[in-house]
Amino acid sequence: MLVHSRKGRWALWAVFAVLFLPVFALPLAVIVMASFAGHWSGAFPSAFTGEHYEAATRGESLDALTTSLLTALGASLIALAAGTWAALAASRLGKGGRRVVDALFMLPVAVPSVVVGLALLVAFSKPPVILNGTSTLVVLAHAVLVTAFAYQSVSAAVRRLDPAYEQAAASLGARPAYVLWRVKLPLLLPSLTAAAGLCFALSMGELSATVMLYPPDWTPLPVRIYAATDRGAAFTGAALAVVLMAATLLVLFAVSRVRTRASYR
Amino acid sequence: MNSGIRFDSVTVTYGGHDGHTALDALDLTVEPGEVMALLGPSGSGKTTALRAVAGFVRPASGRVFIGDRDVTALPPHRRGIGMVVQQYALFPHLRVDENVAFGLKAQKVPKADVPGRVADALELVGMGAYAKRYPRELSGGQQQRVAIARALAIRPGVLLLDEPLSALDAQLRSGMLAELARLHRELPDVSILYVTHDQVEALTLADRIAVMDRARLQDCGTPQELYRRPRTEFTASFVGNANLLPVAVGEGSVSLGGAELKVATDGVAAGAAATLCVRPHLVGLGPGPNALTGRVTEVQWRGATHRLFVEVGGQVVKADVRELRQPPLLGEEVVLHFAPEDGVLLAAGVRGG
Amino acid sequence: MPAFVWALPPLALLGLVFLYPLALVVQQSVRPDSGGTSLQPYADVFGSAAFRDALGTTVWLAVGATVGCLVLGFTLALVIAFVPFPGGKAVARFIDVFLSFPSFLVTLALLFVYGTKGMANGLWTDATGSTGDGPFQFLTTPWGVLLAEITYFTPFVMRPLLAAFSQLDTAQLEVASSLGARPARIVRRVILPEALPALAAGGSLVLVMCLNEFGIVLFTGAKGVTTLPTLVYGKAMLESDYPAACVVAVVNIAISVGLYGLYRVVSRRAGA
Repeated sequence: MLVHSRKGRWALWAVFAVLFLPVFALPLAVIVMASFAGHWSGAFPSAFTGEHYEAATRGESLDALTTSLLTALGASLIALAAGTWAALAASRLGKGGRRVVDALFMLPVAVPSVVVGLALLVAFSKPPVILNGTSTLVVLAHAVLVTAFAYQSVSAAVRRLDPAYEQAAASLGARPAYVLWRVKLPLLLPSLTAAAGLCFALSMGELSATVMLYPPDWTPLPVRIYAATDRGAAFTGAALAVVLMAATLLVLFAVSRVRTRASYR
Repeated sequence: MNSGIRFDSVTVTYGGHDGHTALDALDLTVEPGEVMALLGPSGSGKTTALRAVAGFVRPASGRVFIGDRDVTALPPHRRGIGMVVQQYALFPHLRVDENVAFGLKAQKVPKADVPGRVADALELVGMGAYAKRYPRELSGGQQQRVAIARALAIRPGVLLLDEPLSALDAQLRSGMLAELARLHRELPDVSILYVTHDQVEALTLADRIAVMDRARLQDCGTPQELYRRPRTEFTASFVGNANLLPVAVGEGSVSLGGAELKVATDGVAAGAAATLCVRPHLVGLGPGPNALTGRVTEVQWRGATHRLFVEVGGQVVKADVRELRQPPLLGEEVVLHFAPEDGVLLAAGVRGG
Repeated sequence: MPAFVWALPPLALLGLVFLYPLALVVQQSVRPDSGGTSLQPYADVFGSAAFRDALGTTVWLAVGATVGCLVLGFTLALVIAFVPFPGGKAVARFIDVFLSFPSFLVTLALLFVYGTKGMANGLWTDATGSTGDGPFQFLTTPWGVLLAEITYFTPFVMRPLLAAFSQLDTAQLEVASSLGARPARIVRRVILPEALPALAAGGSLVLVMCLNEFGIVLFTGAKGVTTLPTLVYGKAMLESDYPAACVVAVVNIAISVGLYGLYRVVSRRAGA
């Protein structure tokens, strides 16, 4: 412990609370408050109502939630498959080869998402493959953006995996494919689910590439939230944002339950 | 039976062509049904030799045979070996019986035979009651037994044991040592290559011991040969911690600090320098044949024995004697002796490495 | 089969859906609408005041936000790690959750706190009884973006810092304080040097992410604040001027990827 006096500790905690609460806790609390507000002109909202949630859970808004969930599901499955494959393949390469694969798969993190959106728009608006204005392109963009995170967490887990397991399996006569399926993937399962949760959450909140690509019949939740706030319906936007956060948290929670089960077996 | 191991001039290097040599031209044969201990300090190449048999390292040159099959180019899963490593590497996501069944299923043993062979293997190591546990629910010694059962279930011709007892505490270790000896009696056809840095394990368990140091084979023989008649200074000091005293060789005797000592000098030319090897527990206190006079520099009480350090002609001689009522004082002059047949003369230059 | 063969399918996929489109952006940036290949689009874009403004705004916002995140993140992580309090673990977990939410939520929240009709101005008008607008009108200026970026990206600095702090040997701190060093001195002489690699890695990551940030700026709804990513969006979606959008994109990629390369080097040194 760095500070030994009682007074000093309380002073520091007070500073921490003053910095932490308004900066991090307040925004989330305010959004939740606003989502119930019928009216907000003074210090606090008034005329609390649930009608924003009614609006947020039917019609186009409900479609937007479904769209977001489906997009996130598709994107994280693609990202998980591609990222895991690449991470496993990279772990068998030499140092130089692994660096190249690392750099290429982490590149989407560095490129602005808007530019990823623009690039996909430019590439798939002309033959041979025209995907312009399809939901496929949105899912693809999300997959490109989140694959880096899947790759990163799976390759970290592969590095941590004790080679003794693989060798023990091989000494027992298991071929490489059998080792992968029965030993390596089960041992990586906790990391795989963690990566899937992360990809899902990131995809749920993706806005920058989506605004470049989304067709009118495939409008994800963040775009709806933007549209609502932009036309002045801030309280509806807040309710949609709460729905988005709740959905994300629910999925993350479910994934962490799976992960605990997998790692305690 | 596909048994026995032969190293034919096996060299292993790490890190490319001019890299570090981990194993230097090893020639060694493990007979069918024999327990061979590879004994040496860490970095001596003993584990590398075992991994070359398992197929986890590829020799830069030389061949490895299992039985009469050249396995040098075979991947590990086609070698038909059983292996137990230091940390056991039990699959944490599988129950004990699934761990033991792993190799059988991987090798597509008929489904109907699997449960019986799993039960047999677990029974052999006395773990039948733990079949439905997960590895993390077992103690270190129990995990060790499961690892052995898993390796034996595939009925390998050779069993590779890599420091299998080093993760256990001293008491468990001596119990497992007896257990391994019993297993070997029950499976007389299996050749065992046993890597260890512990001379007690090697002396207890092995039919023959191969002593390794600095990537090379230093000595190979039965435990008795190595202990009583070491051929190199390294063996003498690593197996049983001997006194190694530089002496001048005469006709049928050697001189140490002015004292003439009678030992067999066959094979060493008179006038040459050599090393005299005497085990501390074979050195007695008081007058006798081959007497050495010197001053006591240190006395250590070890319960049943006293270890005396006596300076004789600039050399320190260690003597383990039965507990003394009246141990000598520091600086006191004492006389030590040893029987001529207990001294082994090593020609100079037989240092190894 | 050699090991590299297994790396080919995912690399081919990445090439098809990411590298090839990126190459097309670069290609399009030197193909003006008038046809042919020339650097005219670059000259046009570099010559425009809008681009120069956006570049300047992007860089100073990113640098400012990074500095802010480092200071705030270091302070908060220090308290969590070395002056532990009940609920500290919950705070650390909250930070992880915060990271999984999209950035624009912060701007949305700030609208309710500092917006024209927001909480802060409401408090002001309630307190003073004035009927005009409150004093907090910075939200649609770059300062609003700066505040939002610091809020959102600070956890990205705290996470590596907390990891680094947890590896710091507490015996070192105890020895230092038993030798009579005051807390400020311990922070400066013992903790800061240990945390420097994590700070550098976290800081450069945040710098890259701020340069690329889009949602926060878009939600501010400020026509006055234009950054490179919003300029790309504006050129492409609002003006349909694809060559110009591609030029801005190429500039943005060059800066971000360059900095990201730096981050990779720094974080490899830091062992992160």
